[in-house]
Amino acid sequence: MYKLYIKIAVRYLFKNKLYSFINITGLAVGIATFILIMLYVNNEKSYDRFEGSENIYRVFMDFKEGNTFVAGDAQTSNYIGPTLTDEFPEVLNYVRIYRFDKVTFKRGSQLFEESNGGMADASYFEIFNRSLSKGDVSTALKEPNTVVLTESLAKKIFGDEDPMQKSVHAYYGEEVLLTVTGVIKDNMRNTHMTNNFLISFPTLFSWSAFEGQQSLNWDHCNYFTYLKLNAGIDKTLLTDKVIASDFEEDEDERYNLEPLEDIHLYSNKPYEAEANGSISRVKFLIAIAFIILILSWLNYINLSTSKSLERAKEVGIRKVSGAQKTQLIVGSLVESAVLNVIAIILAVVLSVIMLSAFENLSGKTLLVPTTFVKQLLPILGFVFLGILLAGLYPAILLSSYSPAKALKGKIAASMGGLQIRKALITLQFLATIILLVGTITVTKQIDFLEKQPIGASLDRTIAFNGELLTSDSDSIIRSKFRTLQSELKAMPMVKMATRAQSFPGDGYDNLSSFVGIVYPDGTEDSRTNFYNYSVQSEYFDLFNINFLSGGTFIDNPKGQSRNIIVNEEAMKKLNISTPEDAISKTVNFFGIQWTIAGVVENYHHFGLKNAVQPIIILHRNSSNNLLVKFDENLTNATGYAAAIAQVKSKWTKIFPESTFGYTFVDKKFDAQYQDERQFSSAFKIFTLLALLIACLGLFGLTSYTCIQRKKEIGIRKVNGATITEILALLNKDFMKWVITAFVIAIPISWYAMNDWLSNFAYRTNLSWWVFALAGVLVLGVAMITVSWQSFQAAIANPVEALKEE
Amino acid sequence: MIQIQNLKKSFRTEEVETLALNNVNFKVEDGEFAAIMGPSGCGKSTLLNIIGMLDNPTEGSYQFAGNEVGGLKERQRTELRKGNLGFVFQSFNLIDELTVFENVELPLIYLKMGKSERREKVMKVLERMKIAHREKHFPHQLSGGQQQRVAIARAVVTNPKLILADEPTGNLDSKNGIEVMNLLTELNQEGTTIVMVTHSDRDSHYAHRVINLFDGQIVTESQNRAVGAMI
Repeated sequence: MYKLYIKIAVRYLFKNKLYSFINITGLAVGIATFILIMLYVNNEKSYDRFEGSENIYRVFMDFKEGNTFVAGDAQTSNYIGPTLTDEFPEVLNYVRIYRFDKVTFKRGSQLFEESNGGMADASYFEIFNRSLSKGDVSTALKEPNTVVLTESLAKKIFGDEDPMQKSVHAYYGEEVLLTVTGVIKDNMRNTHMTNNFLISFPTLFSWSAFEGQQSLNWDHCNYFTYLKLNAGIDKTLLTDKVIASDFEEDEDERYNLEPLEDIHLYSNKPYEAEANGSISRVKFLIAIAFIILILSWLNYINLSTSKSLERAKEVGIRKVSGAQKTQLIVGSLVESAVLNVIAIILAVVLSVIMLSAFENLSGKTLLVPTTFVKQLLPILGFVFLGILLAGLYPAILLSSYSPAKALKGKIAASMGGLQIRKALITLQFLATIILLVGTITVTKQIDFLEKQPIGASLDRTIAFNGELLTSDSDSIIRSKFRTLQSELKAMPMVKMATRAQSFPGDGYDNLSSFVGIVYPDGTEDSRTNFYNYSVQSEYFDLFNINFLSGGTFIDNPKGQSRNIIVNEEAMKKLNISTPEDAISKTVNFFGIQWTIAGVVENYHHFGLKNAVQPIIILHRNSSNNLLVKFDENLTNATGYAAAIAQVKSKWTKIFPESTFGYTFVDKKFDAQYQDERQFSSAFKIFTLLALLIACLGLFGLTSYTCIQRKKEIGIRKVNGATITEILALLNKDFMKWVITAFVIAIPISWYAMNDWLSNFAYRTNLSWWVFALAGVLVLGVAMITVSWQSFQAAIANPVEALKEE
Repeated sequence: MIQIQNLKKSFRTEEVETLALNNVNFKVEDGEFAAIMGPSGCGKSTLLNIIGMLDNPTEGSYQFAGNEVGGLKERQRTELRKGNLGFVFQSFNLIDELTVFENVELPLIYLKMGKSERREKVMKVLERMKIAHREKHFPHQLSGGQQQRVAIARAVVTNPKLILADEPTGNLDSKNGIEVMNLLTELNQEGTTIVMVTHSDRDSHYAHRVINLFDGQIVTESQNRAVGAMI
């Protein structure tokens, strides 16, 4: 009997090509989108999962803001790991990791710059459950001046040679000679911190790059600390105990714990190892995935029920031939399964095709082929279950037709059924309008972020940097930089050149922060976090940062002084009421008395996603970045390439053993909005898909209504109705649903987008036209969809319609 | 075979109650060929639907082969219908997606008959209806007369005790109409009871007995003396 059902289903699909195409396309697109989003979600949720990962916790710091504690720093001091292990028997072990922003390895004359790496305790392998392909996990990181490399990095540096026990120089401000004591498999696991090399923690105590922090101390919060906890313990209780401990006798800060598995999605603290994901984005995407999937199911229900009228006769025949109601339901479900299996196959093909595009969009490699099927199965299982449910309503409806009426062609839509279908369509358009409002708002917000003045002019500026592999003294390096700077300034296309530790858009990478300051009025503040970085006097001019009072540093041969420049935010925090009042006032931090030489307008160092932070800019030498502003005449890529080549030749002449790199400052600043741009692109695509699916549904329902009202249309035409009048008659109802959806969508989308915008310190407003545009667009598309069908009905020969009756 | 007593059927909408059948009483004996006639809206089809167990009466008794079926649930009616009743409709009512063979095979599938037995029975009846050469064709590839022969084949493939025909020649030209009536007569002569609703005086002459309905009531009943006179 199932064979018969399948046979009928396949023949029916071929006979009703348009219906089949619409139904299968709608479902396939919906399922493919769902698969892709769920693969992305799975990928996002897979971070730092390994055997025992549930017992690994990271220590972080909370700072007091007002009367409440806020997560202040992902990094901690090097003392907290050993202290917690000593204090709490629940803590089995700890690992500290110092994260390098960049280390240059040197082997012979070859240089290898590596940005993902750390300095870690020997317990790293135990805590992160990593094994070595060469070397012994228990000893690999025990001795000072040893390093473990990933297989690919080892191959890069040593080629086909066995790297074990071989030496390699590492430069991180200062040089150290390391011996390779282990090779670790390349990381295939998703993690919040990728490490391509690990230098042994004891190296810290002899490496001059870490001068000043070569002892256990509470002061330098530059270390990620992870704890391995006893599996059986109450982790919340331990967290509470850690929070309550006051190791530093400082009531304004405290230590806190978070599960390793939660870091990628739930943690977004200053000084994270890498940019983490966002649980709110994941939730948003899950919501969109379900909306689109449900839309396609609703669509399927709508199309199937509308088409079921045409199958009434068949149901009648089956009933008089002896079919029971359950047999008819099963038959209908088998048919729905046939259609859906085709849709699912198509969806899987579609998702494989779209995977690379989606990966570009999301900036992630979503899956490795071996896990594809494993990941896909539960998703497909869920989809299939949904399909079964979606197929049930049309099946029950179909089987309930009275055979006597069905055979006479007298099945009419029940009012209840029609109401359900209207409600489904309204729901589809409701979701579509909400998504469209979302798309417009996200686009508007990104446009706002990009166009908003940031208080600094970043164009035509390139930050040059490189690791100086030299044993020269600081003063020689300074003098070499001065020479390089004056040579660059002499270049015709260079307008300015200055050195700075950080610059707008550089994020936290090179930015320092501290707590503990004495205000000009003598107030001691040990709570407020101030950010600081060092620059030379031309920095402000180069970026055109506006002074509210005072001016830039007065240059001197040493390139440093005890003058500072603060931003307006820092000025307010320091209890200074006006910029003019700030000049020549003194503040004390790092145990030094500093004099305020100027107050600058609040420029955006972190981009407009974050509120402006209090920043103190020091007058000191920094070799982090050599900022060069080029002439207005330098316009095209070729010009820039030639200019960069010239800078490189001068740089390598002065620092022959150094590495060389550069970043366009404006592009780096813009890259901060990369996430939002990806989000916006994804949003646009999903909205388009949702609109497409909703329109397919509307198309189906219009065709259904046109069949239903065929006789009515015929009678009206015979009695003198024009095509326009018929069109108006048919379209009026559909438009009513879209308008209803629009009215309901306004408050929901307003709430949702207001909530999303609240993540931004600087945000665009939700203008009335955003809603109006979404409404008009959806109404327009709906109108076109409906009119195509109603026009066919309106121009049909009424005689045909009446004859059939 | 059929005994109907004080049968009433009413249709109720929100405001109006329409009495489609009012106190109908009649019998159809085994092997009889009865025709039901009357103007449009007199209740012919409603009566046929009740006899065919596609619908339940509102009041009264309907006994089929000695069993009271008036108050049966749909599931029970379906079970009783299976193999006992065959239907022939004016509009043929073949499933467009199934071939001639598959359409005729349908009732046997619901009787859960084995494949080879089904094939044998279907081919036999198709040959009898002179349509076996078209077994692989779909309904839209056949003429009206051929379609009705397929419909009759489907109605008789289970060897039912009773065939219900609802204006079986209504959509056919006279030549095909005669062919169909001859087939029904043949079946009747072989022992199948037939109840036929018709508008056609000529077709009614094939029946042993003609029951005239008017406004839901039987107004006259007459015996045909020269059954088969038109053959």
